[in-house]
Amino acid sequence: MRKVLVVFKREYLERVRSRWFIIATVLGPVLMAAMIILPTLLAARTRGSSNLANIVILDATGTNLGTRIASGLAAAAPDSKAPQVRSLAASALPAEEDSATALVMRRAVNGFLVLNDSTMAGTAARYAGRNATSLADVGTITSTVRKELLNLRLERAGINPDSVARLTATRLDLHTDKITDRGLESGGGMASIVFGYAMAFVLYMMIALYGQNMLRGVLEEKTTRVAEVVVSSAKPDALLAGKILGIGAVALTQVGVWILSGIYLASFGVQIVHALAGPTADVSAVHMPTVPISVGIALLLFFVLGFMFYTSLFAAVGAMVSNQEDVQQAQWPVMIPLIAAILFLGPVIANPSTTLAKVVSWIPFTAPIIMPLRMALIPISWPELIATLTGLAVACYLAIWVSARIYRVGLLMYGKKPSLRELVKWIRMA
Amino acid sequence: MPDYAIDIQHVVKRYEEHVAVNDFSLQVPRGTVYGLLGPNGAGKTTTIRMLLDILIPDEGSITVLGTSVRGSRVLDRVGYLPEERGLYKKMQVRRVLRFLAELKGVDAKTADRRIDEWLDRLQLRTAERDWGAAKVDELSRGMQQKVQFIGTLLHDPEIVILDEPFSGLDPINAQVLKDTVIHLRDQGKTVIFSTHLMDSAERICDSVCIIARGRKVLDGRLSDVKAGHGVRNVALALDGGPRDAVQAVLADRALVTRYDDQNQYFEVELADGADAQQLLQRVVAGGARIRRFELIQPSLQQIFIDRVGGNGATPEAASHA
Repeated sequence: MRKVLVVFKREYLERVRSRWFIIATVLGPVLMAAMIILPTLLAARTRGSSNLANIVILDATGTNLGTRIASGLAAAAPDSKAPQVRSLAASALPAEEDSATALVMRRAVNGFLVLNDSTMAGTAARYAGRNATSLADVGTITSTVRKELLNLRLERAGINPDSVARLTATRLDLHTDKITDRGLESGGGMASIVFGYAMAFVLYMMIALYGQNMLRGVLEEKTTRVAEVVVSSAKPDALLAGKILGIGAVALTQVGVWILSGIYLASFGVQIVHALAGPTADVSAVHMPTVPISVGIALLLFFVLGFMFYTSLFAAVGAMVSNQEDVQQAQWPVMIPLIAAILFLGPVIANPSTTLAKVVSWIPFTAPIIMPLRMALIPISWPELIATLTGLAVACYLAIWVSARIYRVGLLMYGKKPSLRELVKWIRMA
Repeated sequence: MPDYAIDIQHVVKRYEEHVAVNDFSLQVPRGTVYGLLGPNGAGKTTTIRMLLDILIPDEGSITVLGTSVRGSRVLDRVGYLPEERGLYKKMQVRRVLRFLAELKGVDAKTADRRIDEWLDRLQLRTAERDWGAAKVDELSRGMQQKVQFIGTLLHDPEIVILDEPFSGLDPINAQVLKDTVIHLRDQGKTVIFSTHLMDSAERICDSVCIIARGRKVLDGRLSDVKAGHGVRNVALALDGGPRDAVQAVLADRALVTRYDDQNQYFEVELADGADAQQLLQRVVAGGARIRRFELIQPSLQQIFIDRVGGNGATPEAASHA
């Protein structure tokens, strides 16, 4: 036990002192703050270009639809130059389109909108321009065309234009709230998704980065031959335990610093958004979801168990190989389930209650990442949570058991990477 | 029962394809410098690793300072310098040393004091520069070897095991190592040397054990081993004269079993029943001028080659086990 502590101390202090750790720990909160603030900032920035109405409308419908759309767009973008409307026959369209294209190329206008019979039929209109890839601009143009077409049709059907304006004026936002076992929680589903996703991703990053770190550490001990000196003083099991605990403590320190500084920074979130995006920015997305203590403990357990599970496997990989070249190949069996967990993030976020989502949150290889995500999205029953944690703990024990055996034998074995059969032999003979 | 520093009884270690150590027994008295000699691949390192509980023997028992080594803390009283040496490259020298000492149960304060003493002693801390504050990879290879050596001794071990300690050492560091070994011996420590270099073993060891192909070939006090081999050797140094006439005499199998020709110097092993005086007469009669003619004990090198064979093959099974 004393030797585990000595190894633990070395692993912890050497890593915490390293430049890499300090930089990553300082930059973490900055990135985290960006993650919280960026959505708001982006929302503020997606108002589209102010000059979106500076276009040519080629109206071949034989109605005043073009003029209506022009005034609609002018109203939507008051800062913009008003659109120019050209009423023309359908046969003249190709020639007019060519000249409009030339105007766009000369940057006299942003683009041109073609209205024809299919527009009147309510099926299609066409827009070509420099901002054709701007979702916001295209969205504004589309909704304006739809609205003015509807107005025109209603008027033709004999409804008073004033009534049309009044009746069609709807602006509806859908506010979402999440209901959990504790009742209604303000803050909404979107915040949960962002929080869950961020957390799953941080878990993945920590496991992958520190797993690699473990692998490199073990390989370094092998290649520099420190291993033999150390195992003459401490049992390989004590060495492995000290390493897993030491690296785990480094990761927890880092996450701890991040969470604390994240909370601290988030308390200034509104001010930061205002400073960056101006005082009128929408700050409703700046929000930290609350995490109850019990869920917090469960999250911590998932992190600790998942971390130990993967780092012990990475240690075994490190003990298996003798040089950097073999590492890439040898670590794949451990990396694949980890990457698979990330690939499942999308489907699980889309619907955290499907059988697929449940199963991947139970399997020990993906559970440490998927279950916390599901917990952030929907309420998970305690029996399910405890069963998953127990399964993960058992898997963790097995992983450490197998890894310790591979580690014991592999640490002093040099030469070519063992085959699967040799590996089984190692596990038996240890 | 005598009090041995190390007592190995009938140890066997098998690997898939071969038996690395076969029914090997060895008793090392306390306070001796003991040489474990053998060609490469003879089973020296495997034996040492079993001694340190790094490998577990398939059969037999190993006792260190009166205690079985299996899972025992007695190994905290043993210092080990492996053949393949290494340190954490990115770590500060002092921290590496403190880590190694703490692993052996030395508290940080005592470790720090001893580290400074050793750094001074091996001139890694001078008025100009304290290498203890440098990172390991800033040190030259020779300095790293010194640091490694300090790491082996920081916990003031009662037994020091040195596996091929001279390999890769420059002459100055080799001298430092020899001086330190003598110093350890004077303090009553037990030192185990594993080497295939007979010269250094002969000069430094009190006792030796020759091991080949996993079996013990012979062991005992160096003087006994030599005496047991008989005073059948003659050192013959020429001072000019016809070499071929001398060689003709030495080729006579009735007189000489074998000889080691080093140009102006010959180490000659007499045939059974042959008389050294007769050899002297014949050489003089051949016209050689003689600078030295002396009955000597065989060198360890001679004994080694005699018993193990030039290629490491064992001519006979161990009988001393």
